[in-house]
Amino acid sequence: MIVCVAVVGHQNNPLYLQSFTEADDALKLHHIVHCSLDVIDERVNNPKRSAPTLNETFLGLLYPTENYKVYGYLTNTKVKFIMVTTDLDVKDADARNFFRKFHAAYVDAVSNPFHVPGKKIASRSFGARVSTIVKSFGSGTTG
Amino acid sequence: MANYLAQFQTIKSSCDRIVIAVEDVSDLWLNVKESFEQRVPVKKAGLNNKARNPVFVENLPAEFIQTTDSRLRSRFPQEQYLFWFREPYATVVLVTCEDLDEFKTILKPRLKLIVQNDEREWFIVFVSKAHPSNDQATKMAKRVYARLEADFNTKKRERCCKFDLHGSDAEFWDDFDSKMVDCIRNTLDRRVQFYEEEIRRLSEQRFTPIWNFCNFFILKESLAFMFEMSNLHEDSLREYDELELCYSESVNSPGKHREFGGLDKGDDQAALLNPGLKSLTQIVQDDVFREFEFRQYIFACQAKLLFKLSRPIEVAARGHSFVVGFSKTLALHENSLPFCFREVWVITACLGLIKSTTSHYGGVVAIDSEKEFYRLQGDLYSLCRVKFMRLAYLIGYGVEIEKSPVNSASLSMLPWPKPATWPSIPPDSSAEVMEKEKMVLQAKSREKLFNIHRKPLPLEPSLLLREANRRRAFLSVGNLSELYDSADGSGLDANSKLPPSRSSSNFMTRTMSGPATSETSLPVDRPMRLSEIHVAAEHALKQTISDPDFMTSLSSVKEFEKRYMELTKGAADNYHRSWWKRHGVVLDGEIAALFFKHGNYDLAVKSYEKVCALYSAEGWEELLADVLPDLAECQKILNDEAGYLASCVKLLSLDSGLFSSKERQAFQSEVVRLAHSEMKHPVPLDVSSLITFAGNAGPPLELCDGDPGTLSVAVWSGFPDDITLESLSLRLSASSSADEGIKAIKSSDSHVLAPGRNTISFDIPPQQPGSYVLGALTGQIGKLSFRSHGFSQDGPVGTDEFMSFEKPTRPVLKVRKPRALVDITPAVSSALLMNELQWIGLIVKPIDYSLKGGILHIDAGAELKIEESQMIEIENYRSDMEHVGAARSSTEAGRVEKILIENGKIKLPDWASDVTTLVWFPVRAIDGTIARGESPASPQKQSIVDGMRMIALKLEFGVFHNQVFERTIAVHFTNPFHVSTRVVDKCNDGTLLLQVILSSEVKATLHVKDVRLDLQSGFEHLGKGDGRPASNLFPLVIAPSSRAGILFIIRLSGTKDVDEEENTDSMLNIKYGISGDRTTGAHSPVPVNPGESEELSFKIALRLKRPVLDPCLAVGFLPFSTDCLRVGQLVNMKWRVERLKTPEDASISGNEILYQVDANPQNWMVAGRKCGHVSLSNEQGSRMEIMVTCVPLVSGYVHPPQLGLPEVGEANISCNPAGPHLVCVLPPALSTSYCIPAA
Repeated sequence: MIVCVAVVGHQNNPLYLQSFTEADDALKLHHIVHCSLDVIDERVNNPKRSAPTLNETFLGLLYPTENYKVYGYLTNTKVKFIMVTTDLDVKDADARNFFRKFHAAYVDAVSNPFHVPGKKIASRSFGARVSTIVKSFGSGTTG
Repeated sequence: MANYLAQFQTIKSSCDRIVIAVEDVSDLWLNVKESFEQRVPVKKAGLNNKARNPVFVENLPAEFIQTTDSRLRSRFPQEQYLFWFREPYATVVLVTCEDLDEFKTILKPRLKLIVQNDEREWFIVFVSKAHPSNDQATKMAKRVYARLEADFNTKKRERCCKFDLHGSDAEFWDDFDSKMVDCIRNTLDRRVQFYEEEIRRLSEQRFTPIWNFCNFFILKESLAFMFEMSNLHEDSLREYDELELCYSESVNSPGKHREFGGLDKGDDQAALLNPGLKSLTQIVQDDVFREFEFRQYIFACQAKLLFKLSRPIEVAARGHSFVVGFSKTLALHENSLPFCFREVWVITACLGLIKSTTSHYGGVVAIDSEKEFYRLQGDLYSLCRVKFMRLAYLIGYGVEIEKSPVNSASLSMLPWPKPATWPSIPPDSSAEVMEKEKMVLQAKSREKLFNIHRKPLPLEPSLLLREANRRRAFLSVGNLSELYDSADGSGLDANSKLPPSRSSSNFMTRTMSGPATSETSLPVDRPMRLSEIHVAAEHALKQTISDPDFMTSLSSVKEFEKRYMELTKGAADNYHRSWWKRHGVVLDGEIAALFFKHGNYDLAVKSYEKVCALYSAEGWEELLADVLPDLAECQKILNDEAGYLASCVKLLSLDSGLFSSKERQAFQSEVVRLAHSEMKHPVPLDVSSLITFAGNAGPPLELCDGDPGTLSVAVWSGFPDDITLESLSLRLSASSSADEGIKAIKSSDSHVLAPGRNTISFDIPPQQPGSYVLGALTGQIGKLSFRSHGFSQDGPVGTDEFMSFEKPTRPVLKVRKPRALVDITPAVSSALLMNELQWIGLIVKPIDYSLKGGILHIDAGAELKIEESQMIEIENYRSDMEHVGAARSSTEAGRVEKILIENGKIKLPDWASDVTTLVWFPVRAIDGTIARGESPASPQKQSIVDGMRMIALKLEFGVFHNQVFERTIAVHFTNPFHVSTRVVDKCNDGTLLLQVILSSEVKATLHVKDVRLDLQSGFEHLGKGDGRPASNLFPLVIAPSSRAGILFIIRLSGTKDVDEEENTDSMLNIKYGISGDRTTGAHSPVPVNPGESEELSFKIALRLKRPVLDPCLAVGFLPFSTDCLRVGQLVNMKWRVERLKTPEDASISGNEILYQVDANPQNWMVAGRKCGHVSLSNEQGSRMEIMVTCVPLVSGYVHPPQLGLPEVGEANISCNPAGPHLVCVLPPALSTSYCIPAA
């Protein structure tokens, strides 16, 4: 189950963060997303060690923790997409696919002329679209 | 084969280096032993690795053992193969012989026997006992050795070397070493090949029933061990890696149930780094190793090799993933393991890894690796920390754990331990239960500052109370409601009442919990209370944990916190040294929370500040809102007013959705309270994030140079309520330069900022030209001065925008470069009348600038007077071009306003502020002198400057009369007429016809109405004598720039008074009128009194001179006598002088006339007298000739000599005919006197 998806701007500022847990504990997900930026920074700053994935937007698994997994995706404009899932058995292809859809939704959202670049995404339709993508990921239909 | 395992273990432990056998044929070993043993370990050995690539190994450990030694004897051949790695790798045959015969007969056959075994790698060391001084013996030894070489060396390989007992040389030892290494290498290669073949053979059987992992393991480890002995650690490591892989595959294969292990005492302490902790025989069962021990064993072997290879970083990396992976494996077997075994194992494993890797870590690695190492250390620490917190939570220290996002993230997603059955309360533990209950009850959630109430973040994946009781297995679900009623309710809320979905898929089997229930002392029907769960867990942990130190750290809250601090600090410090700064800082926050709890506010503030800075820099407001109140509280306690204020401001500036309005009001009242209190160290407060400002949309305010203005600025207040400011001022900065070089501009508005947008206007004093952007907003709340750099583009500050304090690029104010704002030019182009009241027109033309309220100062210069009694006329001005278009439409075209001039000042009317106007004002140019006419006798030149008058103009305009325009204009004044006279005719009777010519000087029509000439003495009018002209033609109209002549008949009067003649002038009085346009030039004067006649009079003085006499002498140049002049030829110059009339004056009378001949001495030589007197009679018509002889000296056109009469004025001489200017002088004629005839 995806518990959280987030969009983080190029200055590492949160642009969008949606948790999908029932409990009122979004703050801990903020923390997880925020800390996972460390991993992204490390990968971006040390291209040597991740040479094969240098030109790849999908960053793969960021966190090998016991209880949840964090996947990352980095666009050309240094906007990061982060997904936290409690599924411990996620195929890379699925995650990749999820991010591709997520990215497309993001692009549509920021193409809105009323959206101010660099500001939080407040679009409701974006939220709805993300929810759909998240649900479809959970159900395993990854187009 | 499994029974060999024990043997294998013993062999492995007893043998740790390569064995080199010594075959001591001639009983020499004792003699050479010492020097031989100095050669080991072998300094440098070239071996082949598994891939048959040459590798140099340093310090290869080896041992010399005699073949007669018991260790090398009595082995069964089968054993030998199996444990081949311990067999000698080389055989050194020690021989000596001093006699050839003996060698041939005895030694050689014996040696042949020894070396015939192909399996051995051997070489012969011939020991020469001969002393170097003993030549005979030396020679013999050499001969025997030569024989030996011939017999045992082959073409391919030399197997002999010679050792001198007395004085061995370095050459021998090199030879010896290389031969020994050759042998070792060959043996090693052969054995590797053997083991590989065996392993391959065994691998082929892997999926057959006869497959036995144990055998495979022995072979594989033998090979690995052999590599390790040979210092080929890389190869050894690879073998272990392969072994691990193979094991994972075999252990995961479905089949018979295997024991997992981990049930022995002390198993809770991870044996990750100690391969020898348990013997392998202990952990083998049915030819399969128990997973728990074996995996740790393999890892330990790998770690050992990696440390030998100096790769502690890899140990840490492998260790971390091993711990995480193995923890999962432990979770699968959790129901068979002791309570919380998994957590305890992870903690000990992490601590062990940290300890050993840190001690092996040298720190001399690339920066990337170093960062990676510290990151791994941090990971290990934080993994350890999480598990430790989980244990602490289980035994009731949960109330002491900070419910922070980081703890929640790690604990709430970590499932509870899943023992087969939850531990039960031991008997006689009511006291402990009471104590725990007390602890839980006493711990109340800390009251946060500002009455901020937040639901604490969960630290448990599901409610512990429910989980524990459910796992006791005998409780029916129906009892749960009863449970909640009786529970103390800590941590109970609506959300966690939802049944935990995750725990439903556990490995618990109810049948397995059967025995556990019988042990419990509780009545079966009652669920445990939370405190009882804690006590039970503590007791169970005591059973699980074998390390007393570990248990101590869980024995009390104090001990727990000590260990917790240790782990958190360890993690934070290591993360700080890695790339993962955020992890480090976040953990700093946890440290701060503990410091805070214990009253170490100084340290807490420092850490909290770091955390806040991190969150705030990247705009993570939700997280910031969680930690910032704590920082504020610390600062408040520490009396750090500045910091506290800054924190309050920050709290206010966070997204308003993060705090309730009540909380925000509390922040504001705190700020206001402090601002009005006596602060010890008032510090300027930065409120950039709270109060932001922006220029108004649209184009910037544009001001002309020197103008003040009013700039209105939108100020957004982030305060939840109105806030009263003591003052508010704004700084502008020039967009060209970075510094804020302008002093603050105060606002004149009232100083109450309402929440949201306020429009404040600032009065701007005159600024330097340039464009300006908003600089900073400063002001005061109470006694506190604040400053804001927060710019907002449009609308209130965005939640993530306050991070970037970029200077706005859009200028709000533009001050133009100085330019002409108005132009004043005179409206008249031609001269005005002198001494009359004339209108001067000024065209006042504003150039895109309002002249509203402008005051025009007119300062007439000398000899010019402004008639202040007259009204000034102001009218619309339209140039010719404008007339065409505007004539039809404009109704105001002819607007004229009359205003008064006071002290030379005119106030421009408002309607005239934006249009070009024409200002007419009357002036009178004063010229005291009387104009003079021009006559041939007294020619005079009139300078244009005479009629020039200057008017200094100064226009003050602009809002504050700050703009000044100054100009001096010149206006030309003139008399109406220019008068000249001439005598037209001189009659015989002495009458003179005097013509007076009046030429108009102005561009206006003049009407001459009357002219009267008052003659000076010496002249008189003929006729009527009233001084009127001869004919009456008046009025005489003179068009502009035309002339008219008036004839007077006068004659000379008899009286002759020299004085009078000198000093008096004739006076011409002209009465005239003028009709002209003031826009063109001269016009009829402004009537000072109404009804005054428009007749003007003009007086002009004329000087008449009595007629001058005619010339009295005439000089004529007579033609030359010859046709041409030649150089050197004498020529006579002749002049004729004739008296034209009899001289009247005695002064010029006389018979003699002085003459003088002027000639250029370079051109002429005068042969006669140059000057002299000639007599000429005074009678009219008398004449005479003057002749001078000259010689021309140069040829060409030259000036001839001139005759001058110095005593007679030139005016009295008439030259008739005039003398030639130039004469032609030819070169001298050729002289033939010296020439010889050609023929």
